[in-house]
Amino acid sequence: MKNIIRKLAVAICMLLILAPFFQPWSYAEDVYTDNVVIVLDCSGSMREPMYNTDIMKLNAAKSALKDVLKQVQETTHIGLLQFSAGNTSKEWLYPLGVKKDVEFMNAIDTPKPGGNTPLGKYMKIGADRLLQEREKQHGYGSYRLLVVTDGESTESPCPVDSYTQDIISRGIIIDAVGINMDKAHTLATKVHSYRSANNPGSLKKALAEVFAEVGSVKNDATGKEVFELIAPLPSEVAAAMLQALSASGNHPVGEKPKPKQEPQAQAGQDAQQVQSGATASQDHSAALLMWVIIGVVVIALLALLAKLTE
Amino acid sequence: MSKIFESMRKFYKSRVVAVDSVVLSAVAIAVVLVLVLMSVRTAYAASQETFEEQLGSVQVGNVTGTSPLEVPFITWGGDMPTFYANGNSLTTKPGSIFHKLGLNIKLVNGDDFKQQVRDYMAGKTPFLRSTFDMLGQASEVIASDTRTKGFIIEHLTWSTGGDNAVGRKDIKTVADLKGKTVCLQENGPHVGFLDDMLKSAQLDWSDIKVVWAKDLTGPNGPAEMFKNNQNIDVCFVITPDALALTGKGEGNVKGAKVFLSTAQLSRSIADVYICRKDFYDSNKELVTKFVAGYLKAVEEVIDLKNKYETTGSPEYTKLLQATQDILGKEAIPTLDDAHGLLSDCTFVGYPGQLAFFREKGNLHGFEALQKKVLDLAVNRGYAKTRCAFFPSTLDYDSPTFLSYLTKTGVQRKEKFRAEAVQEEIEALTTGALDERTLLTFSINFEPNQDSFSEEQYGAEYKRLVEQADKYANAVFAVRGHSDPTKTLSEIVKAGMKKGILQRAGTEGNYKYSLNGKPLDLSSTKEIIRLIEEGAFDGIAEYNPRETMQAALNLSRQRAEALRDSIINYAESHGLHLDKSQVQPTGVGIKEPFIAKPSNMDEAKQNMRVEFRLIKVSAEATQKSDFDF
Repeated sequence: MKNIIRKLAVAICMLLILAPFFQPWSYAEDVYTDNVVIVLDCSGSMREPMYNTDIMKLNAAKSALKDVLKQVQETTHIGLLQFSAGNTSKEWLYPLGVKKDVEFMNAIDTPKPGGNTPLGKYMKIGADRLLQEREKQHGYGSYRLLVVTDGESTESPCPVDSYTQDIISRGIIIDAVGINMDKAHTLATKVHSYRSANNPGSLKKALAEVFAEVGSVKNDATGKEVFELIAPLPSEVAAAMLQALSASGNHPVGEKPKPKQEPQAQAGQDAQQVQSGATASQDHSAALLMWVIIGVVVIALLALLAKLTE
Repeated sequence: MSKIFESMRKFYKSRVVAVDSVVLSAVAIAVVLVLVLMSVRTAYAASQETFEEQLGSVQVGNVTGTSPLEVPFITWGGDMPTFYANGNSLTTKPGSIFHKLGLNIKLVNGDDFKQQVRDYMAGKTPFLRSTFDMLGQASEVIASDTRTKGFIIEHLTWSTGGDNAVGRKDIKTVADLKGKTVCLQENGPHVGFLDDMLKSAQLDWSDIKVVWAKDLTGPNGPAEMFKNNQNIDVCFVITPDALALTGKGEGNVKGAKVFLSTAQLSRSIADVYICRKDFYDSNKELVTKFVAGYLKAVEEVIDLKNKYETTGSPEYTKLLQATQDILGKEAIPTLDDAHGLLSDCTFVGYPGQLAFFREKGNLHGFEALQKKVLDLAVNRGYAKTRCAFFPSTLDYDSPTFLSYLTKTGVQRKEKFRAEAVQEEIEALTTGALDERTLLTFSINFEPNQDSFSEEQYGAEYKRLVEQADKYANAVFAVRGHSDPTKTLSEIVKAGMKKGILQRAGTEGNYKYSLNGKPLDLSSTKEIIRLIEEGAFDGIAEYNPRETMQAALNLSRQRAEALRDSIINYAESHGLHLDKSQVQPTGVGIKEPFIAKPSNMDEAKQNMRVEFRLIKVSAEATQKSDFDF
């Protein structure tokens, strides 16, 4: 036992010593991914069965999501956000990230139907998380919010309309699937796609269609008719349109953007550069010092453990 | 008859007077012209004289005496290890590195390059200490006698911040030099620096007008001339002058700024020692010891400097003091200035000697630099013929180096922290990016093109790899751009679908109106508001934002594909390229050349990848003792 601990200590020491010297990536990792946040309605009404079946709406949704997500590429990042489950206060059943089938399947099995329908609030939470991710990915990738619900928001005042408008104006695609709704959800005319699902089969089909759209490749082929279509636009207006379209920020939904801070301009003159260089050097020294301290602490703990096992 | 004579006399007299005045006027004009031409020649075309002509008659003699051995130094941080190796003294002190190696050296100031060349030729010293470019200027003189032909025995440093190009406010990038008047020291270290800048922007000396300054600094230096002559657009100066010109204090020039320095163009000015062939052949052991001693001093000075910057170092302070004593308080007013002098350069150390003299495909190695400096010497008229130098043949594998030095195994490492560089580039707005841009060029591609062959783009890859090597402290952002036609058409279609835009007229003659009013320039503000509020969003079949996003992703993918092609190009040609120096980024539709293309030819102008050489912060770089 003592020997094993000693060997372990040596191995850890070596790793700690070598860790600071490992080279980082030659160039930044390719950071863009397709991102989908699913907002799953777990309100009390989701306990009801789907039309002409004895399958609970929530269970049908869970089952359809499981089936569809098995087919989704691993490069797609998935997040599962629930509201109103009666048995858990955990909002993010599966935090937005790489899809790991086992963990995701376990997560989706968790919620049971519970309370009311604060739809607007959770659309904002989901969209804010996507915007956060877009900031991290420097704007690359794709971003979708998939709302699976069986009813209208119970919030008062209802923020769904204003949040929806804000979310889509940021370039996040909203897909909504209405389960067993007598008439189309109010989201139907405001979001990019709305699908009505009145049985488990149509629910699965609707979800499959949404995921089929994720990361669909667009090319830059342009036909003659497209030039004719834009020809009447004044050039200045066209330029303004493009600028306006690409200006949407990643600040939280319903909030005003914060003024952007430029990174510090590079020291063009050596006096400033020396100062910056010294700072970089001190940062590196601090990191090294931190590793050394961690190393010493780990060695001390292992030595203590070895002593105790004697 | 007498009347005839009289009239003839008068005629001749008047002719003589007329002829005299014509001749006198012509002579006067000629004299004025000659004087004007001479002054112009002095100011603008001194480089038309060969270095030999500028130097005048030179005596060639044998080197006499090696103890003490006279060794020149110049006012440069790269010479501080020489002071240190000599015991912080002009004469070798007991216990010093050189003393322990059995050397007895007398250091002499060699800031007057022409005098250095005379002393070298006369045999007063076997060494010549200068930049490689300046050696190129003197190459013909140096090779004029078999005894004095030069062996480059050591590469000391790169200038990394000490030399600056200061421009008036309209000078932003190197390309802005075209058509400008530039002032720099004649025969000075900045001639090669300017040459590198011009080449990087694919300009020639004929694209600029040169005003020569007699000195590097002081009353006859470029800084003073720049201050006093509004016609000079750019001057090449050392850092103290750059700070004075661009600062807020007395002596500044309004709007002047450093638009480029060796902090970015960091492999332009190489400082070297050369040794006379006769001395090299007969005193190789001594030369080896001199080089080894210098390299040992470099290792120790670097460690002391690092210590000084963190916890302080009395030994390093001694070196700073010695530097001030040797170079004088006028050149080095404070010890901080001595520290700054050392920080203005980057050492190459022992690994740098191997890379410089032995490495194939090294774009900043001996062969590449020799070609560059001799091209410059001949093309600028400093030399009539190409007279090459010999590369060092010292045995770097001998114990004199390997058993003596401690930093012999240092490997090249990537210069930039890629994640930090990406963060920095992505966070820059267009204006800020322009401010940091040193150089830019681009390539175009076809719709849906996703591979970029060497056959098609080899010339641009070569240019990038070469310039990345020169501008070793700057980063090439590879920026993919897309054509916005499809996105615009989606806006129009979405607008029509949602009833915001209405179309009238017939094919080929359509007109749009916005909410009932003709769509013209007066609609700009309203249409921006509607787009920002998402009025054109929310329908599945026409989603301009999704199209724009796809264009952004595609532009990034193209930039990555190009980066990979460039890396492959460098590897397949045996050229060294620091991969961390090439950062792909996607711009998408944000910066089209033509916002509303009328046809595919115009759309193709937007489909491009742009290579932008940009300054990055010191925080994005990885610190290293040597650059080689």
